[in-house]
Amino acid sequence: MLEPGRQSARREFVVGLARAAGVSSAILGMLDGTGEAAPRGEETDAAILSAAVALEHQAIAVYDQGARRNLVPAGLRSYATEFRGDHAGHRDTQIAILKERGAPVPDALEDYHFGPMAAGDDWIRRALTIEIAAQDAYGALISRIRAKDYLLSAAFILVDEIRHMTVWRRVLGLKIY
Amino acid sequence: MRVVASRRAVLKAGALSTFAALVGPRRSDATDYADAKEVFDTVDRLEAEVDARLGAIAARLPSGRPLVSSLEADHRRHRTVRARLRGRLHLSPASPAVAPATDAALDALRTAQEALVYAHAEGLPALGDAAAVDAMAHNMIDLARHLAVIDLWMEMESSRA
Repeated sequence: MLEPGRQSARREFVVGLARAAGVSSAILGMLDGTGEAAPRGEETDAAILSAAVALEHQAIAVYDQGARRNLVPAGLRSYATEFRGDHAGHRDTQIAILKERGAPVPDALEDYHFGPMAAGDDWIRRALTIEIAAQDAYGALISRIRAKDYLLSAAFILVDEIRHMTVWRRVLGLKIY
Repeated sequence: MRVVASRRAVLKAGALSTFAALVGPRRSDATDYADAKEVFDTVDRLEAEVDARLGAIAARLPSGRPLVSSLEADHRRHRTVRARLRGRLHLSPASPAVAPATDAALDALRTAQEALVYAHAEGLPALGDAAAVDAMAHNMIDLARHLAVIDLWMEMESSRA
């Protein structure tokens, strides 16, 4: 469990990443605790789905940049490929749900302004921050989901995000238990 | 590369064109819980199995004791959360869990741990209470991390072999 100061810093950091990914202000409010508690319903589900797709686009972009610029250490490429595949699956699943409901689907941004990234630990740290943001966002929003089938999907997506985060923490020598 | 469980594979399948294709016919191996009591009873049973397996591993492998003790501490916290939720949802308290006979096999621990994680994920829709979903999802986050740690442990063992 994080202490209150660190919790608040982590929340700010997650909200910052979510904002950079193009997440709506209503969801940013839910993430930073300043927004009104939205009633569980179709509209909230669609807002969460849209935010989740935006975060998945951002995660895919980090992995694509790592592959394109050869930033991923050779011994870790199988993890990067697996995790990129997970994010693409999460994105496509949630886009399918949005389309079925006739809700607008957010496009990936042209540029996520990741800034300079060096190969090795620097890229891994960047991937880790994106995974932490995804985990925190799903963890914060999951109890607001109304549709049971989407709730089930979100739970399994969250399990994947935690695996990604744990692997990158282990690679960086950070505490994992 | 390890074999992924079929449920995760379904979620990864980017070719799915509609939500109905994903969840229309309920996945054959997914458990559809009737209510919160069934979820908590199942989680209690599966957690007892994981605890028993962790105990067997700690007894045989002293180097595994710090990990085991950390996971057991999380389980104790999770039991407190479930006891509070049982009260909140007006359910009877948990029956004392019976620890099954187990061995110290790491792959069997992984299977039991995965079942515990899946019970949480599949149980969320049956809880019918946002606060309970939030609390059980956060327990699930710990357990999914434990599962990832066990995976890494197994990968390390197999690369040593």
